[in-house]
Amino acid sequence: MLKNYFKIAIAVLKRRKFFTFVSLFGISFTITILMVATAFIDKVVNDTYPDKKRDRSLYVTKLELRGKDAMNGGGLSYYFIKHFIGSIKTPVKLAISSNWQGTNTYINDKKIAINYKYTNADYWDILEFDFIEGKPFTKQQIDNAERVTIITEDIKKQYFGNDDAPVVGKYIEADNVKYRISGVIKAVPITSYNFYSDIYLPYTVSNANFNDTGYMGIYTAILLAPTVNDVAKMQREFNQMAKKIPIPDIKQWDHLNVFADPYIDSYVRSGNENKSGMVYALTALTCFALLVTLLPTLNLVNINITRIMERSSEIGVRKAFGASSRTLVYQFIVENIILTFIGGTIGIVLSFISIQLINNAQLIANLNLTINFTVLGFALLICLFFGFLSGVYPAWRMSRLNVVTALKS
Amino acid sequence: MIKHLFKLIWNKKKQNFLLLSEIFISFMVIFGVFSFGVYAYKNYMAPMNIKYENVWVINYSNTLKTENADSLEMFYSSLKQNIQALPGVIEASYTSANFPYSTSMMNNGITYKGKQYFGVNNYRVDDDYLKTLGGNLIEGRWYRKADGAGKERVIVINKKLKDDVFGSGSAIGKYIDGNNSKDGRRVIGVVDDMKNFGDYQPAKYGMFERIDTSYRKWVGNMLVKVKPGADAAFEGKLYKTMANALKNSNIEIEHLDDKLSSTNKFTLVPLIILSIIAAFLIINVALGLFGVLWYNINKRRGEIGLRRAIGASGNSVSGQLVAESLILATLSLLIGSFFAAQFPLLNVFDLPAMVYVIALLMAVVFIYLLVFVCALYPGRQAANIYPAVALHEE
Repeated sequence: MLKNYFKIAIAVLKRRKFFTFVSLFGISFTITILMVATAFIDKVVNDTYPDKKRDRSLYVTKLELRGKDAMNGGGLSYYFIKHFIGSIKTPVKLAISSNWQGTNTYINDKKIAINYKYTNADYWDILEFDFIEGKPFTKQQIDNAERVTIITEDIKKQYFGNDDAPVVGKYIEADNVKYRISGVIKAVPITSYNFYSDIYLPYTVSNANFNDTGYMGIYTAILLAPTVNDVAKMQREFNQMAKKIPIPDIKQWDHLNVFADPYIDSYVRSGNENKSGMVYALTALTCFALLVTLLPTLNLVNINITRIMERSSEIGVRKAFGASSRTLVYQFIVENIILTFIGGTIGIVLSFISIQLINNAQLIANLNLTINFTVLGFALLICLFFGFLSGVYPAWRMSRLNVVTALKS
Repeated sequence: MIKHLFKLIWNKKKQNFLLLSEIFISFMVIFGVFSFGVYAYKNYMAPMNIKYENVWVINYSNTLKTENADSLEMFYSSLKQNIQALPGVIEASYTSANFPYSTSMMNNGITYKGKQYFGVNNYRVDDDYLKTLGGNLIEGRWYRKADGAGKERVIVINKKLKDDVFGSGSAIGKYIDGNNSKDGRRVIGVVDDMKNFGDYQPAKYGMFERIDTSYRKWVGNMLVKVKPGADAAFEGKLYKTMANALKNSNIEIEHLDDKLSSTNKFTLVPLIILSIIAAFLIINVALGLFGVLWYNINKRRGEIGLRRAIGASGNSVSGQLVAESLILATLSLLIGSFFAAQFPLLNVFDLPAMVYVIALLMAVVFIYLLVFVCALYPGRQAANIYPAVALHEE
């Protein structure tokens, strides 16, 4: 039966080349846009380089103090993380790292802009960066405040030139200080803003005053649970601890909000607890998807109706010979889904091309979009949905066609 | 005639419903993109009033241990003098972190005669700020050294704030946040609006406050105007000068023109992506419209043949078909304009009403053109129908 439908669908497609072109154009272009968007979101949300232990981790990125008519949101201080977050028992490791900050370095009268990030030793245990050469700095080196650093491949190329000679043990100058290179890693795109940097330094070499007991600062934390099953327990313990944190400056503030979230929640957390980042992100995505699909769908519905009306004599004959409305609707939807899948295949090819173009243009350094099974799965789902949506209404119209009028024309 | 055509469309309202909604949604999309575009263009045409070429910004952190305001003041004024004395430096000025094209914002509110004005950007600057950035003074004067010693609190505001607070009259000598020199601040100057947020964003309310000794320790940025042709070697020298003076400080030098282009990207990139998507959507719609109109006209061969047979010219037949499509478009546009008009009326997104009106008109013209072009070819085809052939089929 399906084989028959397939044959009919192909025959219909061949008959009106212009309509076929319009349909396929609409479908493939919509699929392309949605696929590129999905690939981008998938890269940002699901890429597990370098935090491969994401399912065991919770992320603390923002702290918010709220008063009657004031709000202060931002990163955490080292003291806050060590003193309060460090007090809970479940995590086996606690990674602490600063936001990235910019500085310049000048080599051979050339300027290189460098972003740096301070980290502790656990950071390198929780996050599994790919080391191209060398190794992370040790706890011992951090405690001794040794001037060591881990640099990315890109900075190695910029600073030492394009030859592949190893640079471990050499020195790189940043912020007027010379650091000995202990390792070179594969870079992270800036979209993973929790991990992005050009060079990584031990937190002990920063000039900050670690005796300062203020809460706000430039640091974020990652908590690693012993197993996946302990994450919920760790989150509960964190929330209990958070309730007991004394609020500084009672006159000005009455609430202190700090959360340990799974990666995605922490990624979209806006720093303002009155507005959930997740709701924002989802609304924006839905609006975008609706905007992109609505017009092509309407267009397709229009074209499909036109097509069906053209075939009214065929439908009349089939109805006269006893085909039920259900069979006809079913046939038409299948035909339409076949059409969408052909369009979808073209769309996938087009997305491959556009993703190649985007990657080559290096719009965002180190962000290499890929089409993986998740993205492909999404594309199939979109096709199915699309085909169904644009087929149902025309099929319904068709099934109500009067046999006599259909045969007469 | 139009009434007659209207009746024809009304009789087929069910068939035309989908076509109507398609044109309606296309109109809304086009309206959105045009609003965005017109707004960006309008802002782009406004003068920048900042001479950003060859202006660099040094970001540093205050690492001095002393809390003594006077010794801080001494240290930083001599540091500035050292920078100004470097050959290749024309002018230098301290500024708070919200210098032009930075992402940082500091907002305040002011009151004048009991009325409050919110969202005033508060720039903390020094005596050479205006010279360094090449801004224009419209009336009054800029800060000078004596302002630091005087007891009276004075303030410089920008034109946009002045126009909204004081109207067309002069603002000089008037007080904001109070009525007299005791609790108010006297306006001493008005500067032309600077587009601090890039080429494609409008100037906002702004007031400039002189950095006083109590604020000194929070300042972490210095703008430096250098001579044309200053290179990386000179930049390295500047960097070393700063680093030697401020031990343990994190220092970064950025160029305002680079910052401007990256700020512009924040407006332009979404606009370009939106336009590309909208263009594809419109091509899609245009092809679909073309196909459907063509088919509809083909279905009416009998009717057209009859009209030709009783003497209608080819032109009048194709004219009728094009006019029918345009009336169809008009119906969609009426509904669309109703929705689009809500944007300026309800002040959604805070854009000036003028932008919406221009975008609306442009979108209406665009949709008419689109429908006209799509109906033209099918209309001409219909004009070529021979009455004998068409009627024979019946």
